[in-house]
Amino acid sequence: MNTDLQNVSKGLSFWTAFLAGRFVAFFCRLFRYPGTSLPGAVALKICPSMLSALAPSYEKIIAVTGTNGKTTTSNLLVHILRFSGISAASNSEGANMLSGVATALIKDCTLGGVARSPVAILEVDEGSVGGIFPSTKPGLVIVTNYFCDQMDRYGSLDHNVTLLRQSLDGLPRTALLLNADDPLVVTAGRGRSAVKHYGIKGKRLDREANGGGNTREGQHCPDCGEPLVYYYYHYGQLGDYYCPQCTFRRPTPDFLVTDVQDEDFLKFSLCFFEEEKEGEHGAVCSYKKVTRLQAPLRGFYNIYNILAASAAAITMGVSNDIIATTIQKYAPATGRMEEFLFQDRSCTLALIKNAAGVNEVMKTILRKEGEKALVIAINDMPADGRDVSWLWDADFSMLDHPSIKKIICSGRRAGDIAVRLKYAGVPLVKLVLEPGCRGSLEILGVQGAEEYFVLASYSTLYNYAKLLKKRRGR
Amino acid sequence: MKLKICHLYPDLLNLHSDQGNMLIFCRRAEWRGIQVEIDYISLPEKVHFTDYDFIFLGGGTDQGPVYKDLLEKGPFLLEAVENGSVLLSICLGYQLLGLSFKKQDGTVLPGVGIFDAYTEEVPERLQGNILLETAPDLQDEIKRLGGAPLDTLIGFENHPGRTYLGKKAQPLGRVIKGHGNNGEDKTEGARYKNALGTYLHGPLLSKNPHLADLLLTKALYRSSGDVHLDPLNDDLEIYAHNVMKKRLR
Repeated sequence: MNTDLQNVSKGLSFWTAFLAGRFVAFFCRLFRYPGTSLPGAVALKICPSMLSALAPSYEKIIAVTGTNGKTTTSNLLVHILRFSGISAASNSEGANMLSGVATALIKDCTLGGVARSPVAILEVDEGSVGGIFPSTKPGLVIVTNYFCDQMDRYGSLDHNVTLLRQSLDGLPRTALLLNADDPLVVTAGRGRSAVKHYGIKGKRLDREANGGGNTREGQHCPDCGEPLVYYYYHYGQLGDYYCPQCTFRRPTPDFLVTDVQDEDFLKFSLCFFEEEKEGEHGAVCSYKKVTRLQAPLRGFYNIYNILAASAAAITMGVSNDIIATTIQKYAPATGRMEEFLFQDRSCTLALIKNAAGVNEVMKTILRKEGEKALVIAINDMPADGRDVSWLWDADFSMLDHPSIKKIICSGRRAGDIAVRLKYAGVPLVKLVLEPGCRGSLEILGVQGAEEYFVLASYSTLYNYAKLLKKRRGR
Repeated sequence: MKLKICHLYPDLLNLHSDQGNMLIFCRRAEWRGIQVEIDYISLPEKVHFTDYDFIFLGGGTDQGPVYKDLLEKGPFLLEAVENGSVLLSICLGYQLLGLSFKKQDGTVLPGVGIFDAYTEEVPERLQGNILLETAPDLQDEIKRLGGAPLDTLIGFENHPGRTYLGKKAQPLGRVIKGHGNNGEDKTEGARYKNALGTYLHGPLLSKNPHLADLLLTKALYRSSGDVHLDPLNDDLEIYAHNVMKKRLR
């Protein structure tokens, strides 16, 4: 009865918009157009308050925001919930602005405008939180990390944090699940009551010894401006930090990952915070070991994604056993280190969109022995970020490595990536310029390396995914 | 041959990957057998700017501490420029080297005063790829060097500041596509002696190898006099330059 009343109050513009959205979605499917944003965009044109009308029919809305890991974290969470019998609406293809979120909800609702799924998991672009949070009122917001990304849209990192704080101001009851290892993310939770943190335990400077790069954006204390000191860091500015001048330090993680084995499969233990005791050297935290997890994913950064999704699932009452079983069965989304078979060899497709992300992808690639050939494809469409200067923040000198046989530079900014690699020290004889997607794969296919990799920016990623799928099993 | 280089505030002015200019500048020197020695200077270190052949100042958002420190270092920086040091400043670095900087809230901050220019910040950012016709006198100098045969400059601009040049400042070039100093008078950047300020990111020198070599030649002039640089293979840089140029034209 309640829903009927709600429906009446939604008004004519809502229904026109909703049906228009459904209509567009239907035609998108008919013509096999992805249609991850268009239905929502059309509906929002007609009824800008669309989201606030749709959102209340969900029991729980969980939003995932931050720079890297949004798609994988949301998809993992959807995956875990599905296996535990909770269906969830989601914008799983990474269309994470207002229109993409609206599309996901429009598609999930019945023709009567009522949610089919009890839960919605929304991946939200850092710049779109102001439009999406007030209207969807998420019960839980997960913040992954803040790295330099597509600066032409957002100006600066501090701006992202401010934007997030402002959009949460009207939502005092929203709980936050924050990455404790990122000092920038942590500031988003200040002054709020329902905040939980997650983090990864490391050894002192253990990854620095392996040549960790130096992208540490949040390196200054947000309170007093003093440079932060790290007990250890994993990559970028993520690690265990404290300010030597004031009281700012990494909060004690409520969910902690320990004993990481980063090989072909990721293996690690997930622990709960139990209590803080006074020890010989100040406070000592004790944790209860919960469960050993194993995931068919590559890349250290994916531990954060699994950790965030697992922590969210645990807060929703999902059992550890279900989490452990489902994580093991997870298949990565398009281009998140997704594996294909190309010319009878393994070909991994990876999305690259900022310096911190590409550094981690390159480290993961280089851990593999054997000769490799790569395509690096950089576009500069709005979804990629029109400014590609971030390429110069990434440590491409890693690719000046004997196991790298050839690098095919592709995309609308093929020249830019080629120039970058040249100055990174990659010998010119190893570089090939081929702006076209199909052409670059043809050149890749004749390299005869043991393993192939395609690193692509967002707007060209799906072109590669399509072509590689077609060639699968050839 | 050897070049002494100063990278100013590498930890604070590090937005938009402008430090890529340092890598490009140094590689182009090293590829010609010229040694480079870099000092990274931040606040509040004391510096003898006149020791350096090339000084680099990038873009960023942190105005407070950098601004205070830069005002103290300012006169020494100016002294180095008067003595022929080459100075490259981008975005915020460029703005702070002008005569004054008016913030959005109306407060006016005095600048270092190397460039006869003032900047006003407004809410709306000027953003996008930008194409310049290089200033005619610079074009002549570049031609004399040989090297990449380009008469334009390519970059990406992203700034809420509007900069206006006085009579004593020469622009870097004339805007063909994009906004430039203020989106009105078609000028971009400012020059005084061997000091150059500009809004161009990309980084600036990545698609403009001709400008990189011009700065390199000028920097070498201080210690080694007129030097003819060995030509490099700039095919990739020229390709990247021309792809964007064609798109913008």
